[in-house]
Amino acid sequence: MLRPPRDCGYPDALGGLSRGAEANTIMRYKVLTVDDSKTVRVIVKKAFKPFDVEVLEASNGLEGLAIAARETPDLILLDITMPVMDGVEMLIKLKADPALKATPVIMLTAEGGRDHVVKIAKIGVRDYMVKPFREEILVEKASRIIDLKPAGESPTKARSLDDPADIVIVEDKPAIVQQIQDGLKHMPWRVKGISTPAEAIEHIAKTPPDLIVASLSLAEEGAFSLFRTIRASIRTKYTPIFALVVKTETAQQQQAQTLGFTAIITKPIELGDFEAKIAKALNLDTSKRYYSVDGEMLVMRLPESCTAPVVTEAGTYLKPKFSEAVDAGLNKLVIDVQPLKALNMTVIKLLLQAMQTSRDLGMQFALVGNPQIVAECKGIEDTRTWKFFESMDEAKANLGKPGPSTTAAPQLAGV
Amino acid sequence: MPAAVYISEPIVREYIGRAVRDVFTTMIDCRPALPPPVARAGEPAAVVMHQDDPQVVGTVGFVGECSGLIYLHFPLPFARLCTGRLLGLSDAELAAVGDEAINDAIGELTNMTVGAFKTGLCDAGHPCTLTIPSILRGSNFTVEMISSAVRHVYHFECSGHRVTADILMRSED
Repeated sequence: MLRPPRDCGYPDALGGLSRGAEANTIMRYKVLTVDDSKTVRVIVKKAFKPFDVEVLEASNGLEGLAIAARETPDLILLDITMPVMDGVEMLIKLKADPALKATPVIMLTAEGGRDHVVKIAKIGVRDYMVKPFREEILVEKASRIIDLKPAGESPTKARSLDDPADIVIVEDKPAIVQQIQDGLKHMPWRVKGISTPAEAIEHIAKTPPDLIVASLSLAEEGAFSLFRTIRASIRTKYTPIFALVVKTETAQQQQAQTLGFTAIITKPIELGDFEAKIAKALNLDTSKRYYSVDGEMLVMRLPESCTAPVVTEAGTYLKPKFSEAVDAGLNKLVIDVQPLKALNMTVIKLLLQAMQTSRDLGMQFALVGNPQIVAECKGIEDTRTWKFFESMDEAKANLGKPGPSTTAAPQLAGV
Repeated sequence: MPAAVYISEPIVREYIGRAVRDVFTTMIDCRPALPPPVARAGEPAAVVMHQDDPQVVGTVGFVGECSGLIYLHFPLPFARLCTGRLLGLSDAELAAVGDEAINDAIGELTNMTVGAFKTGLCDAGHPCTLTIPSILRGSNFTVEMISSAVRHVYHFECSGHRVTADILMRSED
């Protein structure tokens, strides 16, 4: 279901996304704001911007009814004093329409006298908010009616390893925070250390991060109460939370898993594993770890340690990246396993898959390997005929030239 | 038509003070201070609010057992500041959207303020409803009242700016 949102006219409401990106966003819920004040409509849009919600606008009751009939919103925010048709009249007509009467309505109005509220409540509204109002309270009330999800969960908004992210480490040991900051400084992530849960709650409420890491060694089980507080807030309900715990504290790890922490990071911290878990939790596009374009060719490069998760990750991007390259006019591929320290069956399967895909797409390819890998390949039935170049330059120089080194048949790849 | 209800000045002061405080604190994160009133019923009908500074004035009325009109005078720079904070706009973005956004934002701030003031009246047993906001722009102007009205003027200090609430209420018949 593709629902391009409307432009409310002020720049902030469109936010950080380009118009094109926003047009491709798949919206889950529709919220209709009916208010003659553009200012209020913009504030409503701003309030729901972090969520997967399309906000529709109407400037009076008549417009509101027309849009409600056409779009069937999941929630209506309704002002009272408006020209053409006021909110009370619209509400009465809405409740008289069999197709719309079940649509939940929250009154959002400056009309706040007790008698007034009671009178309108009797017509049938889910909630009543008197202006002035705080955006977070509006969102909180809306979330009791519709299941608000962060906009970032939309599948078309995948972020990559190049995108910045805010990570909060709640840890009372500065050395651990420093170790994490140092270990992740090659990434475009901002890592902030906070020493107490109370400070963390205050900071997170003001600036919700992309990911939170809480040390389970905080006093008075602070990490667990922090977890509950974070999950109770609509703004951080879906924020990934990692537990940081000593490797031998299995009881605490069990407790964290039961409570629903996104991942467990054990101390001493293995930074590569930590980084991979962050990338996974943030749903980052990690393809650039394995695939790049070098001039007129696609390069597939496997890292030093190819554990099963690494092979799975590399394999996930294989077909899309190869197709993307062919689509862009690149028909040469270098499979570089020089950094690889040891061969195993999952790596062999991945390489076979790469070669087969390359052949299916009509790409020419070459293998580049180190002596250790070349030697290991000689000893395995499936790989003994593989031939390798010794360097990228050699592979590049020979790719495209006629002869066995550039044929797409796996057993003849390389020289 | 019933006789207009008399609302004493301390009550008016309490209601408008609370209304301005609630709206400005909630919507634009500003804490206004209210020094003693400068004018009361019986004082000169024409009150010069500001001499030369450009103003954006929001007006909303309330009609019912209590009827009246409240003008909220914003110096233009403060009107801009309020608009930016309300809409989350930078100075450059604010310049791009122009006066229409400022008018609408000040209209809405006035609507909320008068709405909060009116809620006090309603809860005290004097039901009334709001009118649609309007905006007046200019400098060096006066608002005059007719003889059957009671006037209260309050100057609020807010982030180094002065916001004036000029309240005109129908007096007892």
